[in-house]
Amino acid sequence: MKELLEIRDLDGTGISALRRLILTLADSKRMMGIRYSDWLLGAPSIEAGIAVSSMAQDEWGHARLLYAMLKDVGLEPLKIEHERPAEEYMSVGALDGAFEHWAGIVAAMTVVDEAISVALLGFSRGRYEAARTRVPKMLAEEEFHASLAKAWYRRIAESSSKARSLLRDSTKGLLPPVLAWLGADDEAAKAMVTAGVTKSSESMTEAYRDRLRDLAALVEVNIDQVQPDSGWDKDRARGPGCPDEDAVERVRGDRNRALLVE
Amino acid sequence: MIERVYDVFARKHRGDQLAHIGYVDALDDEMARVYAWKTYDEENWFEMCVIRRSNIIPVNRQDGPFSGSKGEGK
Repeated sequence: MKELLEIRDLDGTGISALRRLILTLADSKRMMGIRYSDWLLGAPSIEAGIAVSSMAQDEWGHARLLYAMLKDVGLEPLKIEHERPAEEYMSVGALDGAFEHWAGIVAAMTVVDEAISVALLGFSRGRYEAARTRVPKMLAEEEFHASLAKAWYRRIAESSSKARSLLRDSTKGLLPPVLAWLGADDEAAKAMVTAGVTKSSESMTEAYRDRLRDLAALVEVNIDQVQPDSGWDKDRARGPGCPDEDAVERVRGDRNRALLVE
Repeated sequence: MIERVYDVFARKHRGDQLAHIGYVDALDDEMARVYAWKTYDEENWFEMCVIRRSNIIPVNRQDGPFSGSKGEGK
């Protein structure tokens, strides 16, 4: 087993980089949960609705565990979860807007949720103790998300040309921001690799492409030819833009702020 | 796309007998796995499995809950 990371051994750059890594994972999980929650009542069957409802709960539970790690790096999770404006969210840009159709959420389940899992796998195998102990259970739960994603992706890919076209367009739209997010190779990302906290962006991107190559090919998307989005914002660890305000209000619990008990 | 009925069996503890706990409608086996796990998540199951109802062969009576409509009924 690798020697565990001592937070006190990280310099200022290292602390900032670890904060950023935790936040980008936590925010992406939280937004993934919101996007699943949009489909609780609009899924093609009761079972599919129950499944995405449960997956939304999984994502929010994972996010909560990740936000709690921020205490290790001197941040107060409660403020982070409930007081930030949309512009400060570090979630992957592919989750900025709601998905208009079932093919869109299936593409997100496949393309985005899988990328978050690849990033979490790298995090779970690093030297940061909280990630080593808490992330494996998340990944075990994510296996069901991946199974459902693949099953639905194949079904839609084999169905009508219209549904297939929606899936293809959604996949093409989601991949560039996801590849930019997973493939981040700036100073903070490199600092985390050097500190042994996570895997290199190259290895994670390669693993990700391997996982999705055959599925994407079903809708004539060659994942090896898709290029990441440009316009990387290193402070927010994401591309331009931010999640829509309605989603962030729900994430923060604005409407029920008076009832917040922590 | 045609959904099939899958019956769900589970047991809470090692050594318990598998019990029929419900059913799900699903397009294929993989979806049935996930739907069953996510729908019947009220317990911390030791084991859960699903079987396509049409694969259940009635033995002594044709009017049992698993034998309707060539195994596809609910």
